[in-house]
Amino acid sequence: MSETGPTRSQSDLAEMLELLLDKGVVINADIVVTVGETELLGVKLRAAIASFETAAQYGLEFPEGTDMQRVEEAANVEELPESETVTVGVDPDDEYEESEADAESNERSEEEAEADERSEEQTESKMGEDTDEETQTAEAEHDGD
Amino acid sequence: MAEPTFEEGRYLYCVVESADEGTVDDIEFSEAGIEGDPVSVVEHGDLGAVVQPCDSPFDSDDLGTVREWLLTHQSVVDAAGEAFGTPLPFRFDTILKGDDDAVSAWLADQSETLASHLDELAGHWEYRVGVAWDDDRVRDELESNDAELADLRERIDDATEGTAFLLEKQYDNRLRDLRQARKDDLTNRLRDDLDPLVSAFETMDSTGDVLGSETNEEVVQVAFLAHEENEDEIGRVLDDVASEPGVEIRFTGPWPPYSFAPELDA
Repeated sequence: MSETGPTRSQSDLAEMLELLLDKGVVINADIVVTVGETELLGVKLRAAIASFETAAQYGLEFPEGTDMQRVEEAANVEELPESETVTVGVDPDDEYEESEADAESNERSEEEAEADERSEEQTESKMGEDTDEETQTAEAEHDGD
Repeated sequence: MAEPTFEEGRYLYCVVESADEGTVDDIEFSEAGIEGDPVSVVEHGDLGAVVQPCDSPFDSDDLGTVREWLLTHQSVVDAAGEAFGTPLPFRFDTILKGDDDAVSAWLADQSETLASHLDELAGHWEYRVGVAWDDDRVRDELESNDAELADLRERIDDATEGTAFLLEKQYDNRLRDLRQARKDDLTNRLRDDLDPLVSAFETMDSTGDVLGSETNEEVVQVAFLAHEENEDEIGRVLDDVASEPGVEIRFTGPWPPYSFAPELDA
C-alpha cells in the first residue's frame, strides 16, 4: 500500500455513523432537551441490532440516565429486575435495600439466575465429559485397529 | 418515557468560528438538514451555531431512517467544516429548547469556552487508522520465532492423545498471549511514531464494535487529532508500518473531531 493521504469511502462513513451516536460535543444543561434522548437513540439502535441479552453479554454499558424501560421495549424483552436496569454488566449489589420488596425480588431473581448458571455449568461439564468419552472411545477403537 | 415537550427547538449540528462577523450570512448551505429542513447559522460575535428548527427529537425504530439522519448530520457538519474550518461537532440529536434567540443567548453565555475549544482545534481534524494483518502469516511467524511454542509443538507430537489435548490448550494460550503482545507492540509503535505529529491519540477497543458485530478484522484501531499540515507526513509514517509484510492499513479522514470534542456545562 503506497497511499500517503487519508481516504473517505462509503464504508468509512458507516464507521462514523456509530461514532455520531457516541461522540461529539455533549451539553449538560436543562435547556437542552435531548442529551438523554441522544444516548437513548444510540442505545436503542444498538439494542435493536444486538438483542438486549447479547448486548449485556458483551458488557455494553448503558449511559447514566438511560431510560431502561424504553431500552427493554426497544429490545423487545420483558421487564428486568430493578437491579439490572441501572447499569448492565455491573454488580447490582449497590442497588439493594432501596425497598424491601424490591430487594427481595432482586435476590430471588439473582438466585434464579445463579441456579440457571449452575445448571448451565453442569450441562457444559457434562458435555465436556461426553467429549472425553468420545475421545476415549475413539482412542480405544484406534488401539483396536 | 414521556417525550420531552417543547414547541420550538433548534437542532444543533456544530459550532463554528467566523473570522469576520457577518460573513456567515453569505454562506449558503446547499446541504438540506434532517428531513429536508433548511439549515441556518445563528451568530453571536465570532461564533456561529449551525442549526435547524425542530419541534421534537429525532427518534425512530427504523434503522434505515436513523442511518439517513446520521448521514445528513455528517454531511451538514462536513459542509460547515469546509466553509468555516474545523467545527465543534455535536452529538447526534442535541437540541436546544427555544428559538434562534435562545441559541444566540446560549452562544453568548458559552462564548469563552466555545472560543477556546475552537482555537485549540483550529486546523486540526480527526483521523482514524485501522490495521489488519494476515492472521495465518502472523501465526506462522509466532510459531517459528517462539521457543516455548516450538517446545510445546514438539511435545504435542510425541504425546498420547489425552496429554496432547492439554498441551494443545497450553499452546493456544501461549499463542493468544503472543498475538496480544504483538498487537500491543503495533499500537505502541503507532503511538510513538505518530507522537510528534498528533496532538491527541486514542486507542479504540477493537474487540468487536459496540454493535456487537464481529465482522471487523482490524486488530488495532486508533483515532488521533492532528493538524491538517501533518497529513502527508502521517501518511508516510503509516506507509512505513504498512510496508511490513502481511500488514494492511486503512487511513481515513479528515473527520470533524468527534472523538476529541469537549463536554460543555451550561
